[in-house]
Amino acid sequence: MAQNEDESEEANLPPVLKASVHDVRYFATLLRGVNFVNRATVTIARSGFIVVVEEARTLLGTAYIFAHVFDEYTYNSETATAPQDSQNSDPDEEDNVAFEIPLNTLIECLNIFGTAGSIGAVTGSSTGTYKKWKRSGDGSDQEGDDDDGHGRRTSSGTGGTRGIENYFGNASDKGTGMRMSYAGSGCPLTLLIAEDAAGPTTTCEITTYEPEPHLQLPFESERMVLKIILKSSWLRDALSELDPSCDKLTFIGNPPPAANGRQQPRTAGGTPMLRIQAVGTLGSTEMDYPNDRDVLETFECTRPVSFSYRFGHISRTLRALQSSTKTSLRIDDEGLLSLQFLMPSPTKIAADSQAFIEFRCLALDDELE
Amino acid sequence: MRFRAAIENVNTFCRIIQAIEKLQKKCIIKFSEEVMCIICNSEANEGGIQVWSQIKVDSLFTSYRIQSNASNVITMALSSEALLATLKSASTSSKSAYETEEIVMKLAKKNDQAVLSFEISGVTRQGRKVRVAHDVKIEVMKPTQVAELKEPMCPEPDVHIILPPLQKLRPIVERLRPMSDFLAVRANNNGRLQLSIRTDTVNVDTEWKNCKNTSKASTASQEQEPDEPRDPDELFSVLVSTKSFFKFLNSHVVSTTTIACICRNHCMILYVYVGDLADAGGVLTFYIPGQLVDE
Repeated sequence: MAQNEDESEEANLPPVLKASVHDVRYFATLLRGVNFVNRATVTIARSGFIVVVEEARTLLGTAYIFAHVFDEYTYNSETATAPQDSQNSDPDEEDNVAFEIPLNTLIECLNIFGTAGSIGAVTGSSTGTYKKWKRSGDGSDQEGDDDDGHGRRTSSGTGGTRGIENYFGNASDKGTGMRMSYAGSGCPLTLLIAEDAAGPTTTCEITTYEPEPHLQLPFESERMVLKIILKSSWLRDALSELDPSCDKLTFIGNPPPAANGRQQPRTAGGTPMLRIQAVGTLGSTEMDYPNDRDVLETFECTRPVSFSYRFGHISRTLRALQSSTKTSLRIDDEGLLSLQFLMPSPTKIAADSQAFIEFRCLALDDELE
Repeated sequence: MRFRAAIENVNTFCRIIQAIEKLQKKCIIKFSEEVMCIICNSEANEGGIQVWSQIKVDSLFTSYRIQSNASNVITMALSSEALLATLKSASTSSKSAYETEEIVMKLAKKNDQAVLSFEISGVTRQGRKVRVAHDVKIEVMKPTQVAELKEPMCPEPDVHIILPPLQKLRPIVERLRPMSDFLAVRANNNGRLQLSIRTDTVNVDTEWKNCKNTSKASTASQEQEPDEPRDPDELFSVLVSTKSFFKFLNSHVVSTTTIACICRNHCMILYVYVGDLADAGGVLTFYIPGQLVDE
């Protein structure tokens, strides 16, 4: 497709990436979770691809989209130059391909028929569409996805080889099918999008750019001082309670009291295990989480911690948080925050390979001693 | 000058004005004995989109009476917003406090100001009779001014094609609008239609393959140029302002069938039929001028 500009020898090579999916909504949801800055770095590997977005040298959003999100996913390493062995290049050499792409454009293209999820794809919506996150229905959009996915699975049987007509042929449900290919460095990312076999087809060629080095925020587990795993709804409800005009958000964690007896020892006004504190011009809010296994599934805290973050940065995570099921919150001894959101897949897959979105955020300096 | 009519089909009238109002805040309406013409031809209109519509009087009005010195034609300029507000209040919707029984539209003069007066009589939910009157200020145009109104001249179109439902086109163009100011519309005489944008960051082409070409077009072109047989697969392209095209798509509220005509690199003409194609109560004709952009 896009190879005609290349030299003839390269034109014989299979594209670096070929992927297709019969319903783009899950893929689009994952991308939307990190859609707070338009320019994203995409790294393609054999196991899937990683989308990285950074803001203000402080916040790093990463979406891990594994190969099984797609119905078909083929990665051919670009460095395997000889055409004869390119079909099965050496699996030991895991060399990735990276490029930058206007993320919002990609999402808009996926949603060209308006059928790739109804969450408005608006960039920089942290405060503008704040109320949307406070829906009573627990991420109704996502539930719709679930139902659809199961229905189709049962009707069409599991797996098997299905032609493109099958991806595009489901006229009953309004999913958008997609084929994506990337021919290699300097080539555009090509998308072929269709709603059903009878309807129109859209071809998008999105320009890719040379990747720029982006912020690296390694999180070392030895330096971790706080680790919490909780249901996303518990965190989402807390964060959506906060006034959007808040400018600072503090996570305060204290080691749990000695493990004798569950709740009695600490109810009497003791130090909270987990407190979220928000300060803004209009006042401040404090929220404490109870020491209850139903709420905090995992709670590890080695010493009392208190780190503050810019609320504007934390609110960037809300879109991903909203469509996730579980959250892991970790903080290291310098205040580096790592938030991981497990994104529920419309299909049943092994729990350890579920797609997730991770945010890493540096603490505000004034909290460091 | 006398003019009086009962509006029979207020919902259709309302939808037509709704499509017009999105385009231009002021419009010209020319009432004659047989047809009502709604004209939007303002130069101020960005992208230069124009509308020349003809609606059969019978499809909207009953007891229609018109008299004027200019061979029974009355032409007026008025605010499409005000007209829409009036029609909305008269149209039957679940929200309205009363049910409309009769709407009479007439030309009147109040305090030296020419108005189009709408008298709505209805019944409230409690069964009481109500009368609501709206006066829309108008400016009656002189015959000399009317003579200056000229429909745009276009060459014989290269291709006529029936567009997919406008409700389907609208979301697509809505996505494309923020990406590019210009939209290329291409069609051939073999049922193919393409909408595409080209920018530095993205190229997007959307293609329909099974549209219908109207037979009228092919016969007309064959008669005129019999010795130049055309390749039915040849695509004819025109570049239009994305905003203008999106404004035209606002007529989805009224459309049943829309025929698009492309005069290559010159303009695009869109016929939006009100009601069935066979028994159309009228047609809104949109002219979208082609844009010349150095590539």
